[in-house]
Amino acid sequence: MSLSSAGMFWFFGIILTVAATTLVAGKYNPVIDVGMHAPSFSNLPATDGRSYSMSDFHEDVLVVVFLANHCPWVRGGERDLIELVNDFRGKSVRFIGIGVNLRPEDLLPAMKDRAAKIGYNFLYLHDPSQEIGRKFGATHTPEYFVLNKERRIVYTGLLTNSPAVMEAGAPRYVNGEAKQFYVRDAILAALAGRPAPVTETRAQGCTVEYTRRTT
Amino acid sequence: MARWYLWTGAAALLGLGLLAGCSRFGAQTVTLQLIQFEQWQRQLRSMKGHIVVVDMWATWCAPCIERFPHMVELYNRYKDQGVEFVSMSVDDREDKAAVEQARQFVLRQKATFRNYLMDENIMQSFEKLGVQGIPDVFLYDRAGRLRYDLNGNDPNHQATLNDVDYALATLVAEK
Repeated sequence: MSLSSAGMFWFFGIILTVAATTLVAGKYNPVIDVGMHAPSFSNLPATDGRSYSMSDFHEDVLVVVFLANHCPWVRGGERDLIELVNDFRGKSVRFIGIGVNLRPEDLLPAMKDRAAKIGYNFLYLHDPSQEIGRKFGATHTPEYFVLNKERRIVYTGLLTNSPAVMEAGAPRYVNGEAKQFYVRDAILAALAGRPAPVTETRAQGCTVEYTRRTT
Repeated sequence: MARWYLWTGAAALLGLGLLAGCSRFGAQTVTLQLIQFEQWQRQLRSMKGHIVVVDMWATWCAPCIERFPHMVELYNRYKDQGVEFVSMSVDDREDKAAVEQARQFVLRQKATFRNYLMDENIMQSFEKLGVQGIPDVFLYDRAGRLRYDLNGNDPNHQATLNDVDYALATLVAEK
């Protein structure tokens, strides 16, 4: 029995797809891996009323973090994020928060309120198409990606080894005082042109909800 | 004297029940028990011969809370067909408020199946259970094999409640 040409096409198509997925997936990220070029975005609206594209940023290091207002893990860690942004002020580092959830409390009007209320000192963009989240393979909030000057991913995952969940108005650090500062270390390494000491961790937080594609 | 012992014993049992957070709905009881991973593995092995549905959830997980009533509904539909349901909370055991919130939640949901809360460090709970994020539903067949792991780990193919329904119906149909 021989396979028809259409059958052969589908057979090898599936084999190639599986192989490609296996090759590009990280340990925790099913879409991209450390070392790959980061996906790009264009004209995403921000809480400051403007729109931004990846090509607008010329800093040596970009830190992209997926956020969601409703998520207590985001709220638990936002003070540390703000502090981290302050720590790198004056350095060639840009922080970009992105929201892709479609719950009403995660949409742009609510994002603007949150950014103003908490005093976000970084850009906070929204992608209602969710495409940038899919391209990054982001499945948690918060989930961090550190990109070097060539815009390759050098780190993905947690901020530190002790993520915090907001409880009764105060962050609760699940492993006590943080001892490993993955994002900070990855930024410093990228600025120095060295590889990050830790390149991937499992993000802890709320699952990003993507709409099911019909095609 | 014997009557005094009886009354004391009954009062003590009632007290224990309240401490454990028991509540009865009809003939069934709702509890939330702390469980260590190794205990859970033994529990799981003891359920061999049944289809086992394990719903990993937490009070801070909005989609988990929204999906929970459907899991209770599924349990009521399939409980007489050799299907065991387990809710496994991965709330932080150190967070007393969250543990109490989880206990109150399963009571309100009238979840008369096994409700556990992982007695582990929260990060360890995820690692040991092999869960990246929640909601995540594991379905084991009657031979005790993990047949479905329905989760949101792939942004391009996140599992839905329809997937849970389909997987469970498939396993139930197998003889």
